[in-house]
Amino acid sequence: MAAVQGSLVEEKDIKTEPSNDGGGNNNANDGRVLSTSPGSSASSGSNKSTTGAPEDQQTLLAVLQFLRKNNLTESVEILRREAGLPEDSLDPKGGDSSGAGSGSAAGGVDLEGVDASSLLSRVTVSSSAAAQAPNKAEDQPDVNVVLSAYSQQGDPALYEVYYSGLKKFIESVLDCHRAELSQVFYPLFVHMYLELVYNNHENEAKAFFEKFSGDQECYYEDDLRVLSSLTKKEHMRGNETLLDFRTSKFVLRISRDSYQLLKRHLQERQNNQIWNIIQEHLYIDIFDGMPRSKSQIDAMSGSLAGEAKREANKAKVYYGLLKEPEIELPLDDEDEEAENEEGKPKKKKPKKDSMGSKSKKQDPNAPSQTRIPLPELKDSDKLDKIMYMKEATKRIRLGPDNLPSICFYTFLNAYQGLTAVDFTDDSSLIAGGFADSTVRVWSVTPKKLRRVKSAADLNLIDKESDDVLERIMDEKTASESKILYGHSGPVYGISFSPDRNYLLSSSEDGTIRLWSLQTFTCLVGYKGHNYPVWDTQFSPHGYYFISGGHDRVARLWATDHYQPLRMFSGHLADVTCTRFHPNSNYVVTGSSDRTIRLWDVLSGNCVRIFTGHKGPIHALAFSPNGKFLASGATDGRVLLWDIGHGLMFGELKGHTDTIYSLRFSRDGEILASGSMDNTVRLWDATKAFDDLETDDFTAATGHIHLQDNSQELLLGTYMSKSTPVIHLHFTRRNLLLAAGAYNP
Amino acid sequence: MSAPKTIPKDAQVMIQILKDMGITEYEPRVINQMLEFTYRYVTTIIEDAKIYATHAKKSNVDADDIKLAIQCRMDQSFTSPPPRDFLLEVARQKNQTPLPLIKPYTGPRLPPDRYCLTAPNYRLKSVQKKVSSSAGRISVPRLSVGAVSSRPSTPTLGTPSVQSVTTKVGTPVSLTGQRFTVQIPPPSQTVTTKTTTPSTPAVSNVLINPSLIGSKNILITTNMVSQNSGGESLKRKHEDDDDYDAL
Repeated sequence: MAAVQGSLVEEKDIKTEPSNDGGGNNNANDGRVLSTSPGSSASSGSNKSTTGAPEDQQTLLAVLQFLRKNNLTESVEILRREAGLPEDSLDPKGGDSSGAGSGSAAGGVDLEGVDASSLLSRVTVSSSAAAQAPNKAEDQPDVNVVLSAYSQQGDPALYEVYYSGLKKFIESVLDCHRAELSQVFYPLFVHMYLELVYNNHENEAKAFFEKFSGDQECYYEDDLRVLSSLTKKEHMRGNETLLDFRTSKFVLRISRDSYQLLKRHLQERQNNQIWNIIQEHLYIDIFDGMPRSKSQIDAMSGSLAGEAKREANKAKVYYGLLKEPEIELPLDDEDEEAENEEGKPKKKKPKKDSMGSKSKKQDPNAPSQTRIPLPELKDSDKLDKIMYMKEATKRIRLGPDNLPSICFYTFLNAYQGLTAVDFTDDSSLIAGGFADSTVRVWSVTPKKLRRVKSAADLNLIDKESDDVLERIMDEKTASESKILYGHSGPVYGISFSPDRNYLLSSSEDGTIRLWSLQTFTCLVGYKGHNYPVWDTQFSPHGYYFISGGHDRVARLWATDHYQPLRMFSGHLADVTCTRFHPNSNYVVTGSSDRTIRLWDVLSGNCVRIFTGHKGPIHALAFSPNGKFLASGATDGRVLLWDIGHGLMFGELKGHTDTIYSLRFSRDGEILASGSMDNTVRLWDATKAFDDLETDDFTAATGHIHLQDNSQELLLGTYMSKSTPVIHLHFTRRNLLLAAGAYNP
Repeated sequence: MSAPKTIPKDAQVMIQILKDMGITEYEPRVINQMLEFTYRYVTTIIEDAKIYATHAKKSNVDADDIKLAIQCRMDQSFTSPPPRDFLLEVARQKNQTPLPLIKPYTGPRLPPDRYCLTAPNYRLKSVQKKVSSSAGRISVPRLSVGAVSSRPSTPTLGTPSVQSVTTKVGTPVSLTGQRFTVQIPPPSQTVTTKTTTPSTPAVSNVLINPSLIGSKNILITTNMVSQNSGGESLKRKHEDDDDYDAL
């Protein structure tokens, strides 16, 4: 088991040793942190009355302290009587530990000499390891207890000394280890600073911050700025992201050699407050192998919770596509319309859908059809699919020498109020969500938008006529665009349903509204998030939709349930972007905590965590084959992820501002990205995927080798005059549509 | 004489705050908004603190009063999202239930009517005393319009006095009117209809029939003239039409 939790590993190692010489172990005072099991330490403590006196006293006091902490009062009495200890000798030791019983590993550490501190730390560490592991602060709902994980770890004035000492050590270490060990700086800095703030040492906190904040990595700049405004304990309350940061462990991935170096150094020093903090707040995921280089580390770090543990990315993900249903063209006596569109003499023979019938065998990476319930195909859906197939035959094959044409839909006079855009799959309608709480739908084709007639008018039409479907539409109010009123806050997310009957919009008022595109009225308001909902999307099969918002969860809904079906909770900060996988079995969420998580719809578990972005993620796109994910964030980089292995394999640099839209072409050859820097860039996706080589070694250690080939992959940069690109959409024939609001 | 356009000191403080927080691009009105907010917030807090101080029979307002005032306001106005462990627990419970199966061929898949926004949210005022012939349907209106939610519903048409009665639906769904049918016996026929716009002069006796609430569309329109799509209630019928229309 490579993962290490403080000194848990050592303890387990020692437990397996057959001859656990308690006395011998307790004699070791020189920084070997061999924590004995609690039973043996207690027994050896009482056995020690025959050996050396001062050492013995300290041990006894330590043992008494430990027993007292665990509320073993009778044992305390017995031990005190037998050892003949005065009653008040416990107090100095007791004063140092706060947060009693909550598994604080550092309780009781003081500066009174090596022996006592190392002994105590051994005892308390073992106690924490043995009994308190499940009782860590993160399980306790009370905020105050959560914050009290910051027990007083020593003299506040010495924090700077500790930190500088560590800095000096790391700078003196071998080059190959230095990059890895430098990862420790940032979380350590933040935790120490917050500890000072929590314990009301405002001046020391400010001094500490000023001295060391400049040393941190540049991509943590935003976080540090937020921290700099936090100087009092009261400021910490109510900031959920910060509280989450405190209670969750910052994950670091360090190679075994580097880790040994660090551990040895910290334990041989007198004051191992830093070691305690590391044990408390950091999770060090050890791997065997070469230490990583600075560039490798930089590529993966940047998120609010460190990197992802390797176990987090080990679950099996069914990233394959669902088999397309076989659709037969109906014979002409059943449905003339389809046949007339065909125009070919295929009337007698039903034509099979050739898309799915190629492989009779189940793709091992594809989920089964019934893994999650999906709505059945209605006749209208089948007609849609037939249209889709026909358009697919006329699709242009794109490539590096055959770039798509880009048609840009510019929203004029939006006064910076355009907040969301969506196209239908067949590119016939555009919907725009605006900051004035309205949603507008436009027809892109010459066909106007018609709503269904009112009830009285419907009564007048001839229900038996052949074109009844046309007659129910109201010609009098046909228009190019329709406005939908209903929200009470800016509309941040918008999504058409695949069958073009519904439109979803999510807003700052915390609701998601379902609008009917037949009547252009609101049907349902889904309440669940009580905070702004930043993004929403319909599933590719319809019926399900997801939403993500400020409350840090993403929810899966079905149109006919007024409450969500699944809640995907785990992000540390707002969920800013939510997308379905093409097979509807997985949902990916991007968040302000700079991580991307892939969730399984069936179980609600997080199956992948992708770290590496240095800013909140605003754009996500799955490749059409379902294997890869592209993500864009405020740092201007597009990252490519292999879902199956859970690794980053590509980085596309080029944009200079936030990327708000990403889209793969219909066959996955081109990736288009649109950004606030008013450009659309096209990247060669086939080449990026071909360069992907993942062997077992890479997958095991998580070492990634990013090639710096962004320039080669960039196929074109297209600038608009002054219009940020908010949305991209490839039509069924691989024409690229882009949308944005003119921003003079 | 100072320069003609000096920025007041408070606004300078705001500009400095924005600079400290790293915000470089902002519209000039942001400063005004921040000033307004600050002024309102501080005034509210200090007033609250004064109340607490007088309650504690203190002559001066001190720091404890302010702290208490801030705390109370925080819980009221500036709530923050639930803590993570709470969310994890709720998520765990919710994710345990299996995904519900989807019944085929059920038409538009929408939640039960009480959770939809498809009901009419107005009712018509009864004008004449003519009693409907199908007297069995007369019942005391058991609904009030717009009384459920805290948000004002769309202006009801022609309701002079809202009978405050207990509502059937307890869910705090804003803007949800109650589904009810209105029995309008036109001179020639006696059928139940949905509400029509009040512009129809032939409205005689408007009765609310709660027994039809929740049922699928049983509505047969009369030959009322001057119908325009005023009632959202009519929309429910349209979705049923959509069942059969493959558009």
